[in-house]
Amino acid sequence: MYQYSAQDKQFLVERVDQFEKQLKRHLSGELDEAKFRSLRLRNGLYMELHAHMLRVAIPYGTLSSEQLRALADVADKYDRGFGHFTTRQNIQFNWIQLPEIANLLRDLIDAGLHAIQTSGKATRNITADPLSGLTEGEIEDARPYCELIRRWFNLHPEFSWLPGKFKIAINGAKLDETALRIHDLGLRLVRNEKGELGFRVFVGGGLGAAAMVGAETAAFVPVVDILSYLESSLRIYNLKGRRDHQKKLRIKFLVRELGANEFSRLVDEDWQQTKNDPELKLNLNELESLKKDFALPIEPINLDRFKETVNFNYSIWKKNNVRIHKVSGYSIVNISLTKLGSAPGDATSEQMRILATLADQFSSGEIRTTKRQTIVFPYVRMDQVFDLWKSLEEYDLSSPHQGTLAQIVACPGRDYCDLAKAVSIPIATRVQERFNDMNKLLDIGDLNINISGCENSCAHHHIADIGLLGMQKNGEEYYQITLAGETLRETNIGKKLGPSVSGETIVDAVEDIVNVYIDNRQQEEKFTDVFKRIGITPFKEKVYG
Amino acid sequence: MDEIKNPINLINKEYKTINLVTFEEWLEDSDKLSKLGIGVILDPSNDVGLIKESLDSIELIVLDFRNFDDGRGYSQAYFLSKRWKFKGEIVGINAHLDQLQFMIRSGITSYQLLESYKGFNEEDYSSGFSICYQAAANNSGLNLKY
Repeated sequence: MYQYSAQDKQFLVERVDQFEKQLKRHLSGELDEAKFRSLRLRNGLYMELHAHMLRVAIPYGTLSSEQLRALADVADKYDRGFGHFTTRQNIQFNWIQLPEIANLLRDLIDAGLHAIQTSGKATRNITADPLSGLTEGEIEDARPYCELIRRWFNLHPEFSWLPGKFKIAINGAKLDETALRIHDLGLRLVRNEKGELGFRVFVGGGLGAAAMVGAETAAFVPVVDILSYLESSLRIYNLKGRRDHQKKLRIKFLVRELGANEFSRLVDEDWQQTKNDPELKLNLNELESLKKDFALPIEPINLDRFKETVNFNYSIWKKNNVRIHKVSGYSIVNISLTKLGSAPGDATSEQMRILATLADQFSSGEIRTTKRQTIVFPYVRMDQVFDLWKSLEEYDLSSPHQGTLAQIVACPGRDYCDLAKAVSIPIATRVQERFNDMNKLLDIGDLNINISGCENSCAHHHIADIGLLGMQKNGEEYYQITLAGETLRETNIGKKLGPSVSGETIVDAVEDIVNVYIDNRQQEEKFTDVFKRIGITPFKEKVYG
Repeated sequence: MDEIKNPINLINKEYKTINLVTFEEWLEDSDKLSKLGIGVILDPSNDVGLIKESLDSIELIVLDFRNFDDGRGYSQAYFLSKRWKFKGEIVGINAHLDQLQFMIRSGITSYQLLESYKGFNEEDYSSGFSICYQAAANNSGLNLKY
């Protein structure tokens, strides 16, 4: 598994020292709040409703068991024994004391973890498919590219004070688990007609109040030229992006105002000046070395004679949580942290340690985090899946919800976040209570519900089958419903169903929608396919009729 | 609020023989001004491309960094320094301590801090890190890894 070198760790030490100095100057009144805000955010630190929140990066969603233990230790030592896995594959700690931040960050350095650029108006943590390297038909594992691009934009002198935040996702797999076209910039690994490797580039996607699907700005950028192309894209954004309007800071507004063609033309014009600069070529030696570091730690094994254990609960869990691995003899296991009433993505330090131990035992010590706030064990031998399940059962981690409606994505909501307009987690709990029959859940099948407490859309409600967005109406909590958002096969923003629905009746509305789906689907038809076939009207009539 | 020095006085103090004009003044009268060995002050909103053709007749360029979150000056510095190889000084004025290393690596050749940073040890902030993860306009003396 890829690990930071001593040199990289020394950099992290220096970064923490620098941040500690900035914090001290702020506390002694030498650094005003506005500047400190800008500086602390680019180190992952938020001032929240009840305490301070620190977001720690999990680059491309890959963790070693050692790193997960380090995070568990931080949860105990500096938080209340909890961590919260986010929809961008990172982890947040919600109860941090300001004077302890530097020591917390120092504790993470040994494990090669940090909070650099997990927030602020700079390039953020780069996300990748949590199944990178694991699925059939993938062009290549995206993670070595993520790492090289992450490095390049780490405290980049020219692009650290952008108009707004800048999120990048890279995908090399057939199905887009990263939702790259809702990112500020999305890269899809592709091969051209000569069989050469490169990237198809999409710019200007995003959720929030003005949800947009990213436009293609380049059909093929050779791998070796990607840094210069990204620089040109960021340079046009840095110089021309809106800085005058708080709600129009993201690159999607620039792309919309200029038009995707004009934006692409400007980027290309700049890029023609830099693409041959040898300093900006991707370091192919380093890429090869990283490919070795990220190589799968397993070899195919012959398990033809292996017979699966027959057990009803195990079968249900396995059907929902286990996927086929491209390496024969192995499985990919998805572990849901969802519990009634708990915030999706929340994990206790004890759970983190248990998962670390189980990962050592069953998954070559590697763990992945997903945008659905679940945990993936990427390398489980098929003949050990049952033993893993038994251990998960023992620790109450064998929720068979993965891929069912009960695996809800929700932001912290009004219970925890001062931006939120309405609660999220209690709605998730009520939906789970309404659909608590496993037979019914299995019958409904793969259907996702995402709940955001405000237009910041932290729970990505626009790209769910059923999306709920919290809002205030006459001092009461209401939810706007969007349907048939998707990113896996193609990218579509969910369509608004109609007027928002009160918190009191929102779960009835969700049930109505699910029932329209079940009544109309043919065989294994997905929710989005039914929606495309029958249109929005039957859903409207049921909910508002 | 930081106290902002009059940039014209400030630059005159440092570069006694160089007179400064604004970007607009330069564009209006560049033929005449180009014979005088003059410097130009840019605002972050100015399109630096408009002076590209006349760089050889400009002695010095001043970029203004007073607005902490406005990153356009870094791209302006990049164009002047790396892309167009401007030979004169590129001076960053109204600079912030915590941004010095970004300015220097973007191509700023000298800087003047805002008054409010008086008393701080600049070297603590301008020297940067033992390793840099990218090539930029100014890589001199740096240990690069990418």
